[in-house]
This record gives sequence, C-alpha cells and structure tokens, in this order.
Amino acid sequence: MRLNSEILAALSEATPGLRRYARAIGAGAAAAVADGLVQSALQSVGARLYARELRPAGPEEARLEGYIALTALAARKCLDAPPPGPRHPPIAHGLAALPFEERAVLLLISLEGFGYDAVARIVGAPRENVMEWLRRARRSLSGDVPVTPAVETPRPHPQAPHLRIVK
Amino acid sequence: MTSPSTFIDETDLHALVDGELDPDHRRRVEDHLLINPADAALVEAWRRQNAALRAAFEPIALETPPLSLRTAATRAATQSPGQIETGATHWGRPGATPRPRRIEDLRVRQRRQAILISALLLVSGLALAGLAAFVFASGRSAAPPGPVVGAFTQGYVSRAGLTYATYTVDAHPVEFDAAHRDELADRLKTRVGFSRIPDLSTQNLHLLGGRIVPGASGPAGFLIYERADGGRIGLYFERAVFAVAPPAPKGGFGVTAIEWRAADFAFVLVGPLPPDAMQEAAERAAAQVAAPTP
Repeated sequence: MRLNSEILAALSEATPGLRRYARAIGAGAAAAVADGLVQSALQSVGARLYARELRPAGPEEARLEGYIALTALAARKCLDAPPPGPRHPPIAHGLAALPFEERAVLLLISLEGFGYDAVARIVGAPRENVMEWLRRARRSLSGDVPVTPAVETPRPHPQAPHLRIVK
Repeated sequence: MTSPSTFIDETDLHALVDGELDPDHRRRVEDHLLINPADAALVEAWRRQNAALRAAFEPIALETPPLSLRTAATRAATQSPGQIETGATHWGRPGATPRPRRIEDLRVRQRRQAILISALLLVSGLALAGLAAFVFASGRSAAPPGPVVGAFTQGYVSRAGLTYATYTVDAHPVEFDAAHRDELADRLKTRVGFSRIPDLSTQNLHLLGGRIVPGASGPAGFLIYERADGGRIGLYFERAVFAVAPPAPKGGFGVTAIEWRAADFAFVLVGPLPPDAMQEAAERAAAQVAAPTP
C-alpha cells in the first residue's frame, strides 16, 4: 500500500529527531533508556497502524503520532529518572528541574520546531495551557522577570488533563 | 495613533521567537522591541536558550540510529516482532502479546492432524485384517498340496531314524523282550492298532523285543531285530494318516531306511545292513504284515 509505505518511511525518517527529543526530555536518563522509549513508541504506532486504529492523513501526521506516543511514554517512564551528572551540559540540569509538562512543551517548540497547535495536540492540552507552560519554562531557565506591560493570561484549568493517554 | 506596544504582550514575544507570527504581526512586534530594550533582551535570552538546547542535543540527531529503531515501526506494522534490544519496558504495546486467534489456529491444526492420523490407522488396520482373512480363507479352502504330504512322509522316515538312534544303543532298548512276545503284541494292539510281528529269522535277524514310541501323529510301534554279530535293525510302524510315499530306500549317517505302506500303516525298516540285505528284509517283513489274518 503506497500510503502505508509513505507513513512508515516518515516514521523511519523521524527516528533521529525522536531520539534527540527522548534524550532531552529524559534529562539525566541513560541513552539506552531513551532509545528504549523511542522503540516502544515506534512499535506502538506501527501496531496501531497494523490494527487500523490509526489512519494518519500523511507523513507529517505520522511523525506527530510518533511524538505523541513518545511523550506519553516519557511522562510515565521519566518520573524516576536520575538527575543529570556532571558530564551533562548545563542546560540539561535546567531541564531536569522543570516539571514534565513545561519541559516537554519547551523541547517540542524550541528543539523540535513544532508549532503551538501541534504541541497542544502532542501533549493533549489546550493551547492556553501550552503557552503558560512555555512561559514558565523559559522564565525558569533564564531567571528573567516577566516582560512589561504585564498581561494577565488565563491560568490553565486545574482539572485539565496534562497529557492525553494514547494507549 | 496607537503605540506599537499597546497590543504587544509576552505571548507575542514568544510567538516571535518561535516563528508563529504572520508578517504584519511580526513587524509590529519587532518595532516594539526597538523601543523596549528589556523585552528585546528577553527575546534574545530565549533565543540563546534555544541555541543552547540545540547545541546540547542536536548531535544526537546527527547520529545514525540503530537498525532496531529505524525498522521498529515497520516490523510492528507488518506484525513481525523482532527482539527488544534496548531492554525497555513495553507497556501497553498492542503487538506485545500473540493474538489468541493464532493459538486457536494451532489447536485446530493439531486436531485435524490427530483426526487424519486416526483415520489412516483405521484404514490400514482394516486393510491388514481383510488381507489376513483372505489368506486364511484361501488356505482353508484349498486341498493340502504335495509338499505338505512330503514333509509328513519324510517325517515317518525321520521319526524312525530318530527312534532307531535313540533306542538300539540303549542299555534297555526294549520294553518287552522276545520272551514276552505276547505281552508286546497286546500292547502294540492296544496302543498302535497293529500287532503283527514279522519273523525275519530267514535273514539272520532275531527279534530282540519292542516298545511303544512317540510317532508323527500318534503312538508308534518299534521292533528291534538283532543279528548274530550284534548288529541291530529296527522296524518302525505307525498308522498312516497321509498319502502313500514311494518305497524308495533312503540312506544317511551309515544306516538305510526303507518305507512302505500296508494295511493303513506306514512301515519303516531302519538298519546298518547293506542296501540289498535291507531290501530283502523289508520285502520279507512287508510280505508278512500284508498277509491276510489267519
């Protein structure tokens, strides 16, 4: 099937980016653990493609599904990840100090280059929540004060789901 | 005229950094930064953050991923699960467990094989039983062929030779010696059915005695005659059940055996005499056993 081969090729091409994202979101996690997350995420997407539970419209949507699966897995797996060691870059220490949602949003936008809407879909939260997490993450990393004039932004709903359960 | 900063907030600054603004909006934000150095510094700091992130993690994306990762989705999408090489915990992966349908298929296949094997065994068993019944029925219906008779007639001679070799050299070769000729005749009459004892004295053969011996198909009589030099011959007789055999002398192991039939009995004369002497003795004995009863 032509579409299926395109989807699988897109997932294969997305593997380097997924590895980069997994290593960054894991902060101090070992490389093998990060690669394990990527493999599980890709197999999950492949199995759902086989079961026809997933019908991505094109390669870009397939890539998005890979990040959705990986983020959901990392949300559970990275809770008990060890803190970064002295060999890790300083930015990794800053990332490890962030809450998972803020870390994920910052990395998806700044490192992986996703737009706000795509990130909202990946983390399964409204766009307003995404923007709030992004603001917090950048403030925490830079230590800067908010810009002037201060603009009241809507607080994320406390009951809103942080991450969408993919599987 | 409205100040450019009036509509600019932090969200716009983030959107500028992340490339989320359309051209007009982007131009307004950039104008705002020209007159707000603090916000410009903030944007610059965020851009440095992004650069630091990319510098720290971009080398990972430049590595060639392991083959297991590049083909993970393809293998799962084609349902050919490979080895999990990374040791990761796979929770909730749909392809992690075999489908129950495969187990059912295996059981159905095993059941079909068992039925097929049972059917083959049943058919082969029936075929063997039919063949055995055919062979048995054909064997029962046919008359006894010649070779069987030959075996039994040969059996009289063999039995006579065996009896001769057994008893003529024994310390007590006979049950009843010549002095108890009447008792011997009674016993032969009772057990064998024939009690006429030939007199071979004309051939210098004197009756030593006789006994009852096991025959080929029943009790047999065995008479022993002795010459003056100590040589002994035996006359074996038994009720003949099978066809008549030619009275040709048979030799072997230093003795000669002559067989003939008379009065429904098979007679075999066995002894170490020359064939001519044996032939004469046999003819003499045959003449006496075949004589009409007085």
